[in-house]
Amino acid sequence: MSLVRIALAGEGGQGVQAIAEIMAEAAYENNQQALYIPNFGLEQRGGVSIAFIQFSDSRIGAPKFQKADIVVALSERAVARTKDYSGPETLFVYDSSFNIAPEDFPKVARKIIGIPAIDTSNEVLHPRVFNIIIMGAVIGMSHVVSFEDAKKALEHKLGYKFVQDPKLRELNYRALEMGKEMAEKALQEGVAQSV
Amino acid sequence: MPKVIGEAKKSFMTGNETAAWACLAAGADMMFGYPITPQNEIMHYWTRLAPRYGRGFLQTEDELSAGFTVCGAVQSGKKAFTATAGPGNVLMQEPFGMAEAMRLPLLAIIQQRGGPSSGTVVYSQQEVTLTTFGGNGEGMRIVYSTATHQEIYDYIIKGFNTAWQYRFPVFILGDGYQAKMREPLEIYDPEDRGIEMLKPYPLIGLEGEIGQSREPQHLCNIYSLEEELYEVVMKMAAEYESLQDSLVEYDEKNCDDADIIILSHGVVSRAAEDAMKILRTQGIKAGYFRPITLRPYPQQQLRNAIAKSGAKIILCAESAYGQLDRLTKQEIYGETIKMENLFMPGVGIIDYDIVDKVKSVI
Repeated sequence: MSLVRIALAGEGGQGVQAIAEIMAEAAYENNQQALYIPNFGLEQRGGVSIAFIQFSDSRIGAPKFQKADIVVALSERAVARTKDYSGPETLFVYDSSFNIAPEDFPKVARKIIGIPAIDTSNEVLHPRVFNIIIMGAVIGMSHVVSFEDAKKALEHKLGYKFVQDPKLRELNYRALEMGKEMAEKALQEGVAQSV
Repeated sequence: MPKVIGEAKKSFMTGNETAAWACLAAGADMMFGYPITPQNEIMHYWTRLAPRYGRGFLQTEDELSAGFTVCGAVQSGKKAFTATAGPGNVLMQEPFGMAEAMRLPLLAIIQQRGGPSSGTVVYSQQEVTLTTFGGNGEGMRIVYSTATHQEIYDYIIKGFNTAWQYRFPVFILGDGYQAKMREPLEIYDPEDRGIEMLKPYPLIGLEGEIGQSREPQHLCNIYSLEEELYEVVMKMAAEYESLQDSLVEYDEKNCDDADIIILSHGVVSRAAEDAMKILRTQGIKAGYFRPITLRPYPQQQLRNAIAKSGAKIILCAESAYGQLDRLTKQEIYGETIKMENLFMPGVGIIDYDIVDKVKSVI
């Protein structure tokens, strides 16, 4: 796999950093090179939280990047905050429930994709697995880790909670699966809007 | 001391966590510190790990105190260290100066953040001048600038030995990106790699009678007469200079036929190496030179690289406004090679920043 750069952005508490870490660890456990760095400015106190993750077969250079292959914005203001990470090759993903002013979308992108992650988590699954849906979507779009490795990493990270409540495992796996399907559908069916 | 790591193992962790494990594996007895971003987690991990292995920690009231308590601890024969950043590094220059004056084998991990003043809590390479030549002394220090987590681990282990062998203060110069990012490395017990960790030894309270069975220990940081100080500093300078060949470390790639040498240090050298490779595929003969020790500086090695390549330009790329550039110019005084620069103070540099700059200057 050549270098894949992903930026995930959201509000504190949405679990952006958690899924970045889980994906990076999944790749590492699979003997890939992975590099994950959170933004950690003062803005972490009440600002948009961003995770920068890179995956590759070979040594990864600079820890941060200017243009991502995939940007996922998990809140309305995260869209504006991350639009500059979008370049001609970028898949820019946001939640289709957001009200975004046209000027807040990136000017350049390969595709801008809205997915119904928030509605799905609220109505079909559970709000707490919103980030896992997003993780499934990122994997569905980028294939940076296999679905099985992602499940293993989830088990590794959340196994102690699954022991207490086995239904949680099922819920998380479903969220992962639905996120992946959402992304694949969006990529294939032209839900994506080109700019 | 029992082994800490056991069998060497691959790990995926932050640079700060790496630093704490390295100090543990190197047999450090004690950390003194005061919180400052982005080095906080070195303290956090150390305080979590240290009690399990019978090691100590004290959070002092500020950085001055943290630095001076390290100075005290090493005199009593403890392998002690501290970690700081930015304004904390500024405050610690006074105790670091004492360590230079009294030849104290302390180790300090610096995770550079943005400046001047509180700047950012994030990242820069703006503490090069401060870490190499800070204080009111002559920069009699050993400074390793790391680029990867593996190097943070390796050079902390090496750094403790360098400190206790030569008795000059040793600095591991990282940055906020290295501190906070996660990447793979292998952690190991030094003995398993054939690295013998030097045992710390007390510098005060020694056995025997002065003048009879041993020489007096002069641990002094103030003198009555100018001539006394002069003698001490000149002796220290001579010794420091005599050690340069055994201390300098550097990395050099593709300089044999280079038209332009990309000069960088620390985490930026990762982008510099990638840039060099990209430029080579585009038919541009770029070379790569990276000082690993910023003090002492591998000046002869850089001069050799310039001479053998016949390069006409050095491009100095750094996340500061010319600190590596200035250091390099004083070290290679007399060379006539043109020096171009890519100064990006307080922000990261990626491969294409360097590629584009190289193309604009050749």
